[in-house]
Amino acid sequence: MFDLSDRVVLVTGSSRGIGRAIALELARAGSDVVVHHRENPTAAESVRAEVVALGRDARVVAGDVASPVAVAAFVRKAGEWKGRLDGVVTAAGIYRGDPSDSVAPAEFDLVVRTDLEGTFSTVQAALPFLRRSVRPAIVTVSSVMGSHPGAGAAAYQAAKAGVEQMTRAWALEFAPRIRVNSVAPGFIRTDMNRGGHQDPEFHAAVAKATPLGRWGEPGDVATVVRYLLSLEADWVTGAVLGVDGGIALR
Amino acid sequence: MTESARFAGKVAIVTGGSRGLGAATVRALAAEGADVAFSYRKETKAAREVVTSVEHFGRRALAIPSNVADASETESFVQQARAKLGRIDIVVANAGIGGPEGWEALTPAAWKSVLDTNLVGAYELFRAARPLLAPSGATVVFVASIGGMVALPEYLPYSASKAGVIAMTRSLALAVAPKVRVNAVAPGWVRTDMNAAEYGSETVREEIRSRIPRGRWGEPDDIAAAVVFLASDLARFVTGETLVVDGGGRHRWTAGSY
Repeated sequence: MFDLSDRVVLVTGSSRGIGRAIALELARAGSDVVVHHRENPTAAESVRAEVVALGRDARVVAGDVASPVAVAAFVRKAGEWKGRLDGVVTAAGIYRGDPSDSVAPAEFDLVVRTDLEGTFSTVQAALPFLRRSVRPAIVTVSSVMGSHPGAGAAAYQAAKAGVEQMTRAWALEFAPRIRVNSVAPGFIRTDMNRGGHQDPEFHAAVAKATPLGRWGEPGDVATVVRYLLSLEADWVTGAVLGVDGGIALR
Repeated sequence: MTESARFAGKVAIVTGGSRGLGAATVRALAAEGADVAFSYRKETKAAREVVTSVEHFGRRALAIPSNVADASETESFVQQARAKLGRIDIVVANAGIGGPEGWEALTPAAWKSVLDTNLVGAYELFRAARPLLAPSGATVVFVASIGGMVALPEYLPYSASKAGVIAMTRSLALAVAPKVRVNAVAPGWVRTDMNAAEYGSETVREEIRSRIPRGRWGEPDDIAAAVVFLASDLARFVTGETLVVDGGGRHRWTAGSY
């Protein structure tokens, strides 16, 4: 079960963190992978090599998801590689946690353009290639903060809430053929939030606040994405699944 | 690609395993390597067929007649499962009832019957199994329904019971973390024996199908796969969640349907 043999999946933001773990998990499940990065060719190349070492095919594309023009170009490269995309996972994203008093318009704009519009542009550009697949599926990456508020990071939370609702809207719009679902990670040990988990006090506080008693690992999210892309999830669409160790329960 | 069985060496217990979602779930768990004990009410022949299919996977199966609305029978089911199969790793509270009953003149007995089976029965299974769960990696999956999320006046007790299951999933997940993960799957319109008569007419079936974005009714295997996923290591950081498996059907109430 949950086999992804002979799929071609684009994972944005897969040079590191959650995206990287997703790329590797999908490869382990049998999928070929398009690795995407913005400015980290060395890391992306190493993910590509890891996918190849797992016996799958991989290529690297690059571009800033905050630029629709760049997105159109790298998604086209990704789609033309094998002539189709069976899956798109939008893992590229940024986090800014500043208090609202100190958020300049440019910062708000950057967060929304990257996390929300970047997800939109990526999926929009991928549609023609997804339509060439016999079992196309999209997985967006939201956040526990897309539906459970925290103090600070208002722009980030608004963008992730937008990603969730866009996911549900797309599930209807792209039905019946293309499935669209979202994962909403909690606190995951990645480069993006290394400031958080490398601070021993904050690290301990999050582990304590998380009912499962630990930080999430990128691989914890990746295995959920694997399920959502699989044939076994053929009747799952418009769903948002928390992968947060239960932190939203408290 | 080949992978070793996900549930090798593990034991699952499932209520309502002789038919429908339950039977599909028993088979899927066994296909992934679990030994399975399941309860059933009256369908002895169907239960025997499920036992045979589990054994076909080389796993042990135990079919026990038991009514989930009766706490002492549930206790006995769980005890027998543990005694005969040696451990309990996965608990699936699947058994449920509920057809259209309206909202205008429900009797206390009508409420009690549905709540005793769908909500209290699910709780009793959890309560009986918890002290016997394997010391690590144990998981519980409740079968809820999108009926617990959308307006269904004709199915009021059913709908309220399933909303209760979703709420119970969150509370129990918090209560037993970090040792045990607790999640729910919320199916939409799935073809089963339970609703075969109710949706017997082709017109009704087509009307419902046309409102499901994915364009088809669900099959028991769709739900069984979701249960396997939630019970497996793939969902190791997921707890307190309700995974909706409905072909997008619950969103039919939104502007998207117009």
